[in-house]
Amino acid sequence: MLGLTSLSALALILYMAAEAFSLAHLRREKDSFATATTVLLLLGFLVHFAALEIGGRAVHSVPYRDLSSSMSLFAWMIAASYGILLLRHRESSTGPFLIPLAIFFLLISLITHPGPAIVSDPKRSGSLFAMHVTLAIFGYAALTLAFVLAQLYLIQNQQLRRRKLGPLFSKLPALDVLSRLHQTSVVTGVSALTVATVLGLIWAKSHWGTYWDPKVLFTFLIIGLYMFTLFPGRAGGGKKNAILSIAGFFLLLFSYSIVNLFITQEHMFQ
Amino acid sequence: MSNANESPLLMVGWDFHQTPVELRERLAFSPEKVKEALSLMRKEGLLSEGVIISTCNRSEIYGVTGAALTGKDPIEAVTEFVANYHGIPRPEVNGYGYRFSGTDAARHLLRVTSGMESLALGEHQIIGQVREAFRLASGAGATRSVLHRLFQKALETGKRVRSETGLSSKPISIPGVAMELSEKIYENLAPRKFLILGAGETSSIFFDLLIARGATNIEVTNRTFTRAEELCKRGGKPVAWEELNSRLAHADIVVSATSSATPVISFEAAKAAVAQRRGQPLFFLDLGIPRNVDPRIADLNNAFLYAVDDLQEIAERNRQERQKELGPALEILEEELEEFLSWFGSLAVVPTVASLRQKFESIREADFDRHLEKMTHIAKEDREKIRLMAQAMVKSLLRRPTEAIKDEPDPGRRLDRAEAARHLFDLDVKPKE
Repeated sequence: MLGLTSLSALALILYMAAEAFSLAHLRREKDSFATATTVLLLLGFLVHFAALEIGGRAVHSVPYRDLSSSMSLFAWMIAASYGILLLRHRESSTGPFLIPLAIFFLLISLITHPGPAIVSDPKRSGSLFAMHVTLAIFGYAALTLAFVLAQLYLIQNQQLRRRKLGPLFSKLPALDVLSRLHQTSVVTGVSALTVATVLGLIWAKSHWGTYWDPKVLFTFLIIGLYMFTLFPGRAGGGKKNAILSIAGFFLLLFSYSIVNLFITQEHMFQ
Repeated sequence: MSNANESPLLMVGWDFHQTPVELRERLAFSPEKVKEALSLMRKEGLLSEGVIISTCNRSEIYGVTGAALTGKDPIEAVTEFVANYHGIPRPEVNGYGYRFSGTDAARHLLRVTSGMESLALGEHQIIGQVREAFRLASGAGATRSVLHRLFQKALETGKRVRSETGLSSKPISIPGVAMELSEKIYENLAPRKFLILGAGETSSIFFDLLIARGATNIEVTNRTFTRAEELCKRGGKPVAWEELNSRLAHADIVVSATSSATPVISFEAAKAAVAQRRGQPLFFLDLGIPRNVDPRIADLNNAFLYAVDDLQEIAERNRQERQKELGPALEILEEELEEFLSWFGSLAVVPTVASLRQKFESIREADFDRHLEKMTHIAKEDREKIRLMAQAMVKSLLRRPTEAIKDEPDPGRRLDRAEAARHLFDLDVKPKE
């Protein structure tokens, strides 16, 4: 029976193999390469789930309580978000730019190595709390993909605008496709983050007796900013939309790091 | 077999490189003439197999020499046939074109199919034209093993070159570049809305290109309304010139090709249109000389503007990039050619007969002699007699097939028989399927 680390390492290898085929598909548009990418990614996703399942059983909770397991969960959520994009749009040419995110975070998880299992803190437990955290991580993962897609949009937009058609020009999808992929990621991320916030508020009221936490304010700001990008008529569309999305991601990073570390007491890392 | 003078494989051709269009037109073969000419050449014994590729840029005849050409120069004979068939004086035909045999003929076909001999390097159309020429010849019963294998190999090579190198990947014509750019803003052009300004030749070319891409929502506007109406008979909707500015916001892609001396789309009109489109990109293709579209429009968010010069520059860059891909494309070509030649070479009489003998002898040795050695109850002298009888039997069995291959006067039939023998007896060199 394979252990948590072995399964995570196997998932990492499968993701890397998927990335290799994805790059090969970018170079030579062979359908077999795209199929191999999807199959390897799916296998990696399932093996990765098995690893998370083992980690979860050890702590009797969703595995997010230490850096290693939370990074692993985040990587899995990125793979899941990319899977949603693939299912929804059947567009595989962004794979080489998105799959590395899952590889990167899973690699961090493996490097930081899972320590002894941190059993649930009784103050922060229960299914509502677990759902809150899991959905928030899923939202962050989808918005991370939106961040990369917004950059790809800007690159393609810039190439078209400057009339300098570099090697990426023919490899990247059309602007309208990138825009749709970005929109799906934002809708997924914002929906997950909104539900996570509502669940968090309910949980906070029942455990702390109040809804208030500075983190809530930043989360609403992030949601609001991303919601704005979903209405291109208002946000300006095209390049402006992409820039707004990137700004949203930086706000998200600020909320995840500075706010968690220095501003809120309740969301501080353990 | 690959020796140019001895090879039964030949080709004669005339293309745009050195043959003037007037002569090319007279040398062209319609599909009916292709069938007729192939039938005549085979009937006269000039060719035992033949394929004619006839396009606006080339007329080429590929063949395997027939029985009537023993002792004659087959290329001369086929050239003479073409001159007589089209009623063109021989010196005129002789003054142009190219003639190859053996390896060079096979290599030329692979180059043609890969687009290396095309006017636009790496163009796609030729592969379909070669396929059609082969289909036509096969339908007329003019192809057998050699040309079948050669044309399959040529089509495979054309496909490989296009998929594994960048020889055909980037467009090198202005309409091609314009379509590629459009498809990088809107992936699928079919559901998009187009506005074409002008009803001249350029507008007409773009109109047809858009229709070919499945576009159904095309509006055409022209100062002379009747000319817009005329163009729209092929599927678009004519719009009055006065409505130009109000129709801008409804279009996803605007193609402007008028002969106006001043810009017909102002910055202000484009800005208003872009604002109305609520974030949807608007692509302007300015094909007019002088410019039809105010160049400042390129600075607007969600507006993209390409003029003729921009398109020409991209086309030229792409052309240079295609040239760079010639090296890798030639490597693929030589690899595929080598495979064909290896198979073709194996069909020569001497190696085929030798392989056949070797095969039978090896069977005799492996199955018969081995068992005979174990039959110790038979006296040694008798076993030797039996062995000699078996050897004589193998020789007898081989005599008829060997003669059938060696003594066939028609080179094409000879190759067919050699190919059949190799296939039936599973002789060493197997052609790649």
